[in-house]
Amino acid sequence: MTRQREEKKSFFKLNNYYDYTLLFLTIFLVCFGLVMIYSSSSYVAQRSDKYNYDAAFFMKKQAKNAILGVILMMIASKVDYRKLTAQVGKFKLVYIFYIFCVILQMYVLKFGQMLNGKRRWVKFGPLSFQPSDLTKLAIIILIACLVFKAPGQMDNIGGFLRIGVYTGPAILLIAIANLSTAIVASAIVGGMCFVASRRKWYYGAALIAFAAFVGIFIKFFSDGYRSSRIQTWLNIDTAEGGYQIRQGLYAIASGGLTGTGLGDSMQKLGFIPEAQNDMIFSVICEELGIFGAIVVMFLFAMLLYRIYIIALNAPDLFGSMICVGVMIQVAVQVVINVAVVTNSMPSTGIALPFISYGGTSLIIMMAEIGLVLGVSNRIYHKRTI
Amino acid sequence: MIKTATYCKRNLLFALMIIMAIFMALLFRIGYLMIFKADHYGIMAKQVQERERVIKAARGIIYDRNGKVLATNESVCTISVINSQVTEPDRVIEVLSKKLAIDEEKIRKLVEKKSSMEKIKSNVDKKTADEIRDCDLDGVMVDEDYKRVYPQGELASKVIGFTGSDNQGIVGLETKYDKYLKGTNGKIFTVTNAAGIRVDNKESTRQEALKGYNLYTTIDINIQKYAMQAAKKVYEQKSAKGVKIISMNPDNGEIYACVDYPEYDLNNPYKIQGKDEDENGENGALNLDALNEMWRNSCISDTYEPGSTFKIITATAALEKGVVSLDETFNCVGYKVVEDRKIRCHKTSGHGSETFVQATGNSCNPVFMELGARVGAKDMYSCYRKLGLFSTTGVDLPGEAGPIMHKLENIGAVELATMSFGQSIQITPFALLRSVSAVINNGRLVTPHFGMYIEDDDKNVKKVIDNNQTTGVVLGDTCDKMKYILEKVVSEGGGSKGQVEGYRIGGKTATSQKLPRGSGKYIASFIGFAPADAPKIITIVLIDEPQGVYYGGTIAAPVVADIYSNILPYMDIECDK
Repeated sequence: MTRQREEKKSFFKLNNYYDYTLLFLTIFLVCFGLVMIYSSSSYVAQRSDKYNYDAAFFMKKQAKNAILGVILMMIASKVDYRKLTAQVGKFKLVYIFYIFCVILQMYVLKFGQMLNGKRRWVKFGPLSFQPSDLTKLAIIILIACLVFKAPGQMDNIGGFLRIGVYTGPAILLIAIANLSTAIVASAIVGGMCFVASRRKWYYGAALIAFAAFVGIFIKFFSDGYRSSRIQTWLNIDTAEGGYQIRQGLYAIASGGLTGTGLGDSMQKLGFIPEAQNDMIFSVICEELGIFGAIVVMFLFAMLLYRIYIIALNAPDLFGSMICVGVMIQVAVQVVINVAVVTNSMPSTGIALPFISYGGTSLIIMMAEIGLVLGVSNRIYHKRTI
Repeated sequence: MIKTATYCKRNLLFALMIIMAIFMALLFRIGYLMIFKADHYGIMAKQVQERERVIKAARGIIYDRNGKVLATNESVCTISVINSQVTEPDRVIEVLSKKLAIDEEKIRKLVEKKSSMEKIKSNVDKKTADEIRDCDLDGVMVDEDYKRVYPQGELASKVIGFTGSDNQGIVGLETKYDKYLKGTNGKIFTVTNAAGIRVDNKESTRQEALKGYNLYTTIDINIQKYAMQAAKKVYEQKSAKGVKIISMNPDNGEIYACVDYPEYDLNNPYKIQGKDEDENGENGALNLDALNEMWRNSCISDTYEPGSTFKIITATAALEKGVVSLDETFNCVGYKVVEDRKIRCHKTSGHGSETFVQATGNSCNPVFMELGARVGAKDMYSCYRKLGLFSTTGVDLPGEAGPIMHKLENIGAVELATMSFGQSIQITPFALLRSVSAVINNGRLVTPHFGMYIEDDDKNVKKVIDNNQTTGVVLGDTCDKMKYILEKVVSEGGGSKGQVEGYRIGGKTATSQKLPRGSGKYIASFIGFAPADAPKIITIVLIDEPQGVYYGGTIAAPVVADIYSNILPYMDIECDK
């Protein structure tokens, strides 16, 4: 008993590993994002009464969210992630959280705030956020828990179908309002299952099924504008709908090797609409040049690598799968965002993690990193590592 | 506690590798866009980021042969407004309408028009523009500009021509040499934001305008002035419809003067004589025909039946073929029967017995019909061709008319006879002047021209305007005989009113009936050169529809005498009598 106790004590006191590299990378990216948000939005913001002629309007808002995000991240990293699987009444906490998210998703479709013709926002008093970001987190935890409970099931069709049945409703609900986020969510599901499974060919098949799903969705549910996006993508220099992407390409091409210098982007002067949002990477390219772009991509690669290391060394499969989910989410969002900005794929609205302006996305993202840090904190640390 | 299985770790590594591979691919894509597509999108980006404003180039100056200015530029300003930058529209409208004297409503419409830039008025003089600039109105642009001015007013107006508001030549030499005169416009690139507003901390880049080259013409301002005065005098005396005078150096085709009276004021080319100024009025379209008529240089654009002056050509053809000698005697009975027709001489009682030289002085039609018949249609046409009568002269002004001639196979005896004294064919005065020049300058067919050379502001000659000459179109012997005959026309014959005290003048008169015949309308003309033995200047005068006496020898010859008495001393041509 005493030995056990002592072991437990030493586990927390002596071996509490904490991935400071990941923490540093996250905070660096967020701060860099604040600088870029200020740079890309100040010119427009100080000329518009919508933003009180305040150049720092977007930066200030994002900074407040970032502070909230840091707090949430710290809490998440200190609370034992394994408590998520705890039983609350009849159900596990994970399921309650997931069901709450699904209800929220339904609520937003009915009562959400309209923005640009889509209901994506929920408002509770002073708090307003996009539930889809929260749902992505819920999906990650849910799958991690399911895999953790029965890892062997991932090797046969049944287990895979179970995951599909569980996550299907949430993804469909997201897809109604926001196809691009649904794609990210599907990629998370697919990616996590892939990692957890011994049978790789399932995922080859799943990938094809996913492609078919997207194809069918575009064919039957698209309102014309989504398929016209493909036309726009192919003829970006002339297409009428390609204005935003084209302006982004102007910005990227204007950057050259060393960029125009921080704050000297031309394209942010109203040419790129809402340059601080999804298109922020093009402003980074213009101001900081190709080296700036490489540095940003490298930072993300580093971040992913740290999460990978934590996943490998996680004390249990649950923590490992959470890391896998977060890693896939960050990776998919970065890839889609950069691919859209560089016109490597048809345009779709995905924020660049940690950098793009957007409160919900930033806070949830930081909370997810907090969870990963929490996993890292539970690693049984040998000095040799 | 379930530990992470090895296959999971392997799978995870595989996933990470795929992600890194995609990252690399994206980096290559970014590099491709930023390096290889930089120019492609960079240019497109500049187009949306920059507003381009034109700096007008100053147009080249047109000089006469002695460096006197015929056309130059004056600094003026263009006033325009940029809608998005106007902060006090009412004040802008008030100031502009007051200073520019434009209706307030009209200006309001332009100011409130949602366009990036709207031109309010061009050619505003510098003083007014400075006053507007001093008012410091937001969104009002004052751009320096040039306006074409013609210090000589209506002098040689139909030769020089004028320019439009965009500084482009519309008629005359201004059009012909436009590509040298116009220069290259410069540009100011202003960096703007998406709303088209200038970005304060960005420098504008300038591409300087290049001034156009200067044109030196063969016109001599003094000769042109004398010629115009003479034309004006006879125009008023004879209440003529128009008077044309062209003076040329027969040796090389340099035109000293070209008058087509009435001229028009080059500084105000849209004002029709005797009408109120109506620059851009509603009946502008109706006026266009009248304006075109006024701007038209009929010396080169209109053909006429030359009449007796054309006998010079017939006589040349006869001498060339050797079918007549100077002392051959003819007998004129007042008419000649050609086939079934009786074609009369202008002196119906007949000139009686006369030598060839006297017949030319008498301008006797039957003698020349006889000469025409002796030469024959084919040889006559070959002489015409040598003298350039079948083509345009190549004068460097737009709108030259070509000759109207019978087809060779359609020429019967009657046509040949009428052609011999200058009827039933039509040519321009320039064509006749050129042909006669060839007859008196030892057979060199020159190209009449106004442009001499083109140089830049630093006096570097950029282009010498070359003028073709064809030598040997007439035998030297024929030339000497013709000069002798034509001198006799003035000294003893019908051109006696063309005599100038102290100078030997050669020439030929003509009185052409205007078509349709019998309308009672005539063109009185005289072609005269001096000195008769070695001509330095040849001049043709045409008086269109004179009232009263209409004989060329009576009214046109004195005009040439008048001009010559003034300009021959000026040209340092010595008296030789």
